[in-house]
Amino acid sequence: MNVLELKELTKKFGDFAAVDRLSLTVKEGEIFGLLGANGAGKSTTINMIASLLPSTKGEIELMGRIIAKNAKFAKTNIGLVPQELAIYEEMTAYENVHFFAGLYGLRGSLLKSRAEEALAFTGLQDKKRSYPRDFSGGMKRRLNIACAIAHRPKLIIMDEPTVGIDPQSRRYILNSVRKLNEMGSTIIYTSHYMEEVEELCTRIAIIDHGKTIAEGTKEQLKSIITDRKTVGISVRSTEGLQIDKLLEIAGVREVELDEERRTVTIASDAEVNNLNRMIQQLLEDGMEIRAVDERQPNLETVFLTLTGRSLRDS
Amino acid sequence: MNVWRIAIKELKWFRDPKMLVFLLATPILLMLILGTALSGAFQGSAAVGDIRVLYGASDGAAGARFEQWLGESSSVEGIVFEKSEKEEDAAVQDVKNGLYTGYVALESGGVTYYGSSRSVMENGIVQGMLTSFAERFKLETAIPDAAQAEGSAAGAGIVKETSLQGPKRPGAMDYFAIAVTTMCIMYGAASAGQLIDMERIRNTASRLLASPVTKAEIFAGKIIGTLLLNAITIAIVVLISRYMYGANWGSNWGAVAIVLMSQITFALSLGLGISYLVKGKAAGIIIMTIIQLAALFGGSYWQIEDNGDFVSKLSGYSPITWTNEALLGVIYGGGEGLMPASVAVLLNMGLSVVMLAAAAWIMRRRVGL
Ligand SMILES: Nc1ncnc2c1ncn2[C@@H]1O[C@H](COP(=O)(O)OP(=O)(O)O)[C@@H](O)[C@H]1O
Ligand SMILES: [Mg+2]
Repeated sequence: MNVLELKELTKKFGDFAAVDRLSLTVKEGEIFGLLGANGAGKSTTINMIASLLPSTKGEIELMGRIIAKNAKFAKTNIGLVPQELAIYEEMTAYENVHFFAGLYGLRGSLLKSRAEEALAFTGLQDKKRSYPRDFSGGMKRRLNIACAIAHRPKLIIMDEPTVGIDPQSRRYILNSVRKLNEMGSTIIYTSHYMEEVEELCTRIAIIDHGKTIAEGTKEQLKSIITDRKTVGISVRSTEGLQIDKLLEIAGVREVELDEERRTVTIASDAEVNNLNRMIQQLLEDGMEIRAVDERQPNLETVFLTLTGRSLRDS
Repeated sequence: MNVWRIAIKELKWFRDPKMLVFLLATPILLMLILGTALSGAFQGSAAVGDIRVLYGASDGAAGARFEQWLGESSSVEGIVFEKSEKEEDAAVQDVKNGLYTGYVALESGGVTYYGSSRSVMENGIVQGMLTSFAERFKLETAIPDAAQAEGSAAGAGIVKETSLQGPKRPGAMDYFAIAVTTMCIMYGAASAGQLIDMERIRNTASRLLASPVTKAEIFAGKIIGTLLLNAITIAIVVLISRYMYGANWGSNWGAVAIVLMSQITFALSLGLGISYLVKGKAAGIIIMTIIQLAALFGGSYWQIEDNGDFVSKLSGYSPITWTNEALLGVIYGGGEGLMPASVAVLLNMGLSVVMLAAAAWIMRRRVGL
């Protein structure tokens, strides 16, 4: 069953199309990854799904029903974890969860037990009587999630839930996403972090300039670029390196320079044997080469190949 | 149910200690400072000239009798009777313009008093004195009703007060208990202006709107919660001023509560309305300016004399003035104070409806809260 279906969804701010005829399908039980650079249109898409923003064109169907005509049904079945923290500082962690879950129609002892459950789920049960102003960034993020899941929504949408937090909180969040999924929620997960999406998601859509440019499982996405190879070359110093010269080499598609790690990443057509030309060029530029490795395509390279830019830089 | 849930959430603000200090300590301190520092102005000679009453005699004997009586009887502090050189109509016009508290027309058979509607309490005092005078000389007194002298709201009927002291006048603490309370209520407009902004800034607006709650429910819940919060705070302030400082709030608690509640509603609607009508930071500045002007011209820091000058003319437009006068009327004017008080209540509520309707209309058409 399709939990969510976006059909030619469009959102314009003035003349600018932040989301541009975007279509995708999320099936029941999936952890669906939305991958895209900053400004790609992820949050705008999510806000339309959550009925926070009217669409300019196109349709959104939740469990077969058009949400614009079934707003209450749609809202009840969605749990939104907004990109920005959305919690009350003057209320305890428990009161926050209790308050928001109450808006979904839960009452009395059921409301209480669900609020407790959501806090336990995000590892905040010991902090339930504390105020969020005393929380670390990671704990606030976890509370932000707890507030969205206590009503056990069919579809949970997480908009960059791990931005700027400590590794421990991140681990906690990733595990709870998996557990929520096992308990029957379908999840849409947005992230900047390629590793997270690669580790977590069963299916992924890559979004750029408001459009879906690829959609599928990790394997399917990688197979798009089996005709590509990536060469990573470490040098002692990147000073004097001429990127345009590298780009002139036959077969080379993209060149990326990481000055901090002093590595050059070159994406190239797989069938062209051009490694020797690359090495030669680098030596001509005066580079001292320390290591060379040819990499299998990963999502990072998929993203780089399809969008022409790296996710990390954006 | 959701409305109630959101309303109750607003009350949680109460646990913020900084908020509590601001809400409670400020008025309590202000009352103490203004009420004691300025008490001299209310009891000493400085009060002379506060109430100026004109009198004119169409009958020479009546006029002489009145002047004789004025000379004999011990006067009420702060009340000055001045002989009018003008025609009766012109003198009554001066009263309407607020130059004088009232006009006493002395005729051979009796006394007619035209009181300015601006000063219910003062009229009570003057009427008390006139009754005393009339009784001494067995004269008829008449208080024309509003139909005869537009602007006179002294009410029809007989003068009730007979004591020369007239009804009780507010002391400094009595006055500033009222004036500071109404000023604090007015300041409620500032927090009301941020009521919806707070949800936007903290992003909780998204979460509220993503839940199956309508905008109208959110709006209503926040308004009801804030009204409740402000009402509780003001009730505490009033009770402290009554029992700690002994300020006089009269005996008609119901009427006092209604007047205060109408102003609480007005302040909230004003702040909320402007925050919707004006975009961005300008809204906060406009609200603060209105509050400060209302306090300045509303007698929040010193009592404004109704003598027709620039300040007292503007004073009539301050919501603090009309609420203060309504309260003084209720507390000191007895039954006669209730009519002008209900006008003030209707004014507060009417303006509230206009502002809230504007805010609701804009919010409905807007994306987000
Ligand atoms: N309210 C708005 N008005 C105008 N432009 C907007 C608005 N919201 C988002 N945008 C623009 O739309 C694009 C997509 O933004 P967003 O959906 O937040 O991207 P992402 O979440 O993928 O980083 C960006 O270029 C952003 O500047
Ligand atoms: Mg975003």
